[in-house]
Amino acid sequence: MLSYLVRRIPSAVGVLFAASFLIFLMLRLIPGDPVDALAGQDATQESRDAIRADLGLDKPFWSQYVSWLGGLFRLDLGQSYRIGGDVGDLLRNGALNTVVLTVAALLIALVLALVTSLVAVIRDSRWLNAALNAVNTIGLALPTFASGLLLVLVFAVVFPLLPSGGTPPEGYLARPDISVQYLLLPAFCLALPVWAGLSRFLTEALRSQLRQPYITTARAAGVSRTRLVVRHALPNALPSAVTVLGIQVGTLLGGAVLVEQIFTWPGLGSLIELAISGRDYPVVQVLLLLSVAVFVVTQLLTDVLQAWLDPRIRIGGAR
Amino acid sequence: MTTSRQLTRPKALAGLGLVGFVLLLGLVGPLLAPYGPLEQIEGANLVGPSPSHWLGTDEVNRDVLSRTLSGIRLDLLVVFVAVPVGAAIGVLTGLLTAWWNVADVLTQRIFDVVLAFPTLIFAIALSAFIGPGVWTIAIVIVALEIPVFGRLVRTSVRTVREMPYVEAAQVAGAGPLWVLRRHVLPNSLEPLTVQLAVSMSVAVFIEAAMSFLGIGVQAPNPSLGSLIKDGTTLMYDAPFLALGPLALVLVLVLGLLLISQSLSEAHRD
Repeated sequence: MLSYLVRRIPSAVGVLFAASFLIFLMLRLIPGDPVDALAGQDATQESRDAIRADLGLDKPFWSQYVSWLGGLFRLDLGQSYRIGGDVGDLLRNGALNTVVLTVAALLIALVLALVTSLVAVIRDSRWLNAALNAVNTIGLALPTFASGLLLVLVFAVVFPLLPSGGTPPEGYLARPDISVQYLLLPAFCLALPVWAGLSRFLTEALRSQLRQPYITTARAAGVSRTRLVVRHALPNALPSAVTVLGIQVGTLLGGAVLVEQIFTWPGLGSLIELAISGRDYPVVQVLLLLSVAVFVVTQLLTDVLQAWLDPRIRIGGAR
Repeated sequence: MTTSRQLTRPKALAGLGLVGFVLLLGLVGPLLAPYGPLEQIEGANLVGPSPSHWLGTDEVNRDVLSRTLSGIRLDLLVVFVAVPVGAAIGVLTGLLTAWWNVADVLTQRIFDVVLAFPTLIFAIALSAFIGPGVWTIAIVIVALEIPVFGRLVRTSVRTVREMPYVEAAQVAGAGPLWVLRRHVLPNSLEPLTVQLAVSMSVAVFIEAAMSFLGIGVQAPNPSLGSLIKDGTTLMYDAPFLALGPLALVLVLVLGLLLISQSLSEAHRD
């Protein structure tokens, strides 16, 4: 198990390094000088030079890149240009909100996907299938911001049951019941496409497992349909479903940008927008690298989880 | 089963019908539109849907139906031009590089890095680089589709080149280009058509999301995404503004999804 993980690490690290270089290069090539934005229009040449030296922007490209990378390893992410403060602090504040949101969304998506696909396959009724299929397709076809707006419109405006946006005012743990109210709409909105994709895939995977000979044998031995699906088909359908889930988790951070915008949720998605519009390089480059890192780590975890669920991969080694 | 036969299934026909409807609206609609997309109508401020303004008017007195009809064109451009261009470049890159090991490893690593960025974050970063606008949307979509299609084709090149009949062709003197064109491409056509439909629906999302975040189509020009954004800023006063463009996005994506689903179902059967 461990050696399986170790074998996959080098290429992940390679992608991260390449991405860090690409991000750094791209931000240096962007037209527009952060010094202009900071110094204002009537700044003298001396004060501009002072700001430039202060930010380390007078050094050659390579030396800037190396010192940035060095800082990353020491967890010193530098100072923000525009938003103000330590980049590490900004990140911590945003990360908590985004992690709470994405984890909640993931849980909702997972539970819903398992329940809907299991029920659909076990009951196997024509009307239920058609209804689930319709809801599912709408979930896939509805852009995140559109579903978010509809949710706000229905549950916060027409029927004022839930807050239309923002994070719980007293933190997440002070009043869990209130936190749930704040989380419900944005998390559900973020979960919708993940649920739709996953449940479609899982239903299909379960059905194709049910056509296998071992299921026929089990059925002949008198195993009930529920047990057939849950105990026999599900374990065999899970490994490939994990891959699908992994790809979708990697894209959650992108979806979070939209959801955080709609529900005024002060997380990393809002931070990246703010930072890019303010040409706040230190914040932007760390956030971009972080989003790549999340994706790469998710892929690694997916592979490991898949190996854990499927002994054939675990023992067979590299695919 | 051939692609043309798959496309005559009821599900595929429904999908083609929906996409065709939006296509027709986009092509003919602006000619029939009662007003110009930027025309301001005196005394028609935030009027609700009525016989003279089917989808109402916005806060600067423009007819939303006329704006929607003209906004469809941008989405059609993204769906039917940007995606195929990216797909074509991706297929060519995948075909040509997969055959030679060094080029293959190199391009696959580049694809890995590009695909490691979440789409929307990649779009935001790129828009900081080249500025917001229609071209940014097109470039984001092309840049995104190249690795998606490149990787898909690469897999079939790798599988097909191990086949005995390809070996036989090579022994008979066939060069790599001939093998790629005659054996690999026809074999990868089915997954490619499915991916094309999926990518097209994703492209509608990307346009809408980018315009919604303000890094896509810029005011006063309409696109389905920017019209939805305009509508949402006035959601409490005039909830009808976003409905028309939103419905069209749904119809377009739904149609493309139905096509891709029926293609992949037929592929599987």
